[in-house]
Amino acid sequence: MKELKKIKIVIAGPFAAGKTQFINTVSEIKTVQTERKTSGSEKNVKDYTTVAMDFGKIRIDDEHELYLFGTPGQSRFDFMWEILGEGALGIIVLVDSTDPKTFHEARRIINFFQSRFPVPIVVGANKQDMPNAWSAEDVKAALDISEDEGIPVIALSAKNKDEVKKTLLTLLEIIRYSLESS
Amino acid sequence: MALTGDLNTFSFADILQVLARDKKSGVLLVEWNDMIVAYYVKDGELVFARPVDKVFRVYTDRNFDQLITRLRIKKEDIYKTIERFFLSRLNQKEGIFSFTPGFIKYDSDVPVYYPVEELIMRSSRYLTEEEVERKISDEMLIFEKTHDADEKVGRVKLTEEEKKVLSLVDGSKTVADIRKESGLDSLTVDRALYGFLATGIIRRKRKERIQKPSITLDLLAKIIEKIKQL
Repeated sequence: MKELKKIKIVIAGPFAAGKTQFINTVSEIKTVQTERKTSGSEKNVKDYTTVAMDFGKIRIDDEHELYLFGTPGQSRFDFMWEILGEGALGIIVLVDSTDPKTFHEARRIINFFQSRFPVPIVVGANKQDMPNAWSAEDVKAALDISEDEGIPVIALSAKNKDEVKKTLLTLLEIIRYSLESS
Repeated sequence: MALTGDLNTFSFADILQVLARDKKSGVLLVEWNDMIVAYYVKDGELVFARPVDKVFRVYTDRNFDQLITRLRIKKEDIYKTIERFFLSRLNQKEGIFSFTPGFIKYDSDVPVYYPVEELIMRSSRYLTEEEVERKISDEMLIFEKTHDADEKVGRVKLTEEEKKVLSLVDGSKTVADIRKESGLDSLTVDRALYGFLATGIIRRKRKERIQKPSITLDLLAKIIEKIKQL
């Protein structure tokens, strides 16, 4: 049987930003998860967390599959970001818009990928369906994203399929622009 | 949309940065351990502060001019409230903030004695090592001055140390280079860079090199079409 070629997009972001949910919403397979029970202060946020990676996939044609790889959120697993970033077509950094204490970590993640993998990046200002969510514009200001960085910030709820698709399409359009202009 | 958070994890420099970026107007409420203070913001500038015993009282005064008249404060003296209830509390990190945009009406010009850039720089001087690491997270970061840096610097009274740090930001020196060449301690350098970044005097230098995507346009078009159909 012919092996399908893999195309990779990385879904990164701080702890509890909604990465697994994002992948679940559009994946055609049940997301493959490497979750463990949380402990300590993390347990107050959620019961399970990704410790290696999650992935979901979408079949493109008879030869290609698009893989969505979710990175673990905790910085103690940042060695995985390096592994998952290698060969990625682009990166989506999700941010919990209701939790400003994670914004600096999100910026650190953007810096990490910018310095190692110069590929297009889109920020998803997630959890817009929750009360007290910061607007995408305010998240952008808080993350120090300047206009010339070319990083759009998209408001979304990772539970909403249309909004997840919009975020992916924004990234893909930047990749198309990058291809056409190179 | 309200902006809420904890001063412990999102400092005053960060809050003012967000308010200044879009020139927001409204009221920033901070519930400190010992009191609640309402900070009045006009076009991104902090113009007035007052302690309140009950939060709801803030929302009953919707006209700024009438409010200060009622409080018997002269317009030319309102900056003193910034000194008393903002500058004097910059070393305190325990507090919950929430910013409500828009509901306060400013009838006339309100004097700005302390421009927001000045307040951000003053706030950054109180940041701890842990706090500066949030923005200055990598000593290999490179910064460059923004196109309106001079205009913004003109609104701030920089310390001699900050002037020195700013003179070393040239779009090629790393944070490590600046620390070394300035001869200043790392925390002083990082606080200055944090403040410059938050005021918009400097920005991260964008990498020129963008990797060419390893995919054909035809395949990319297929992926886009597939995502649309999901």
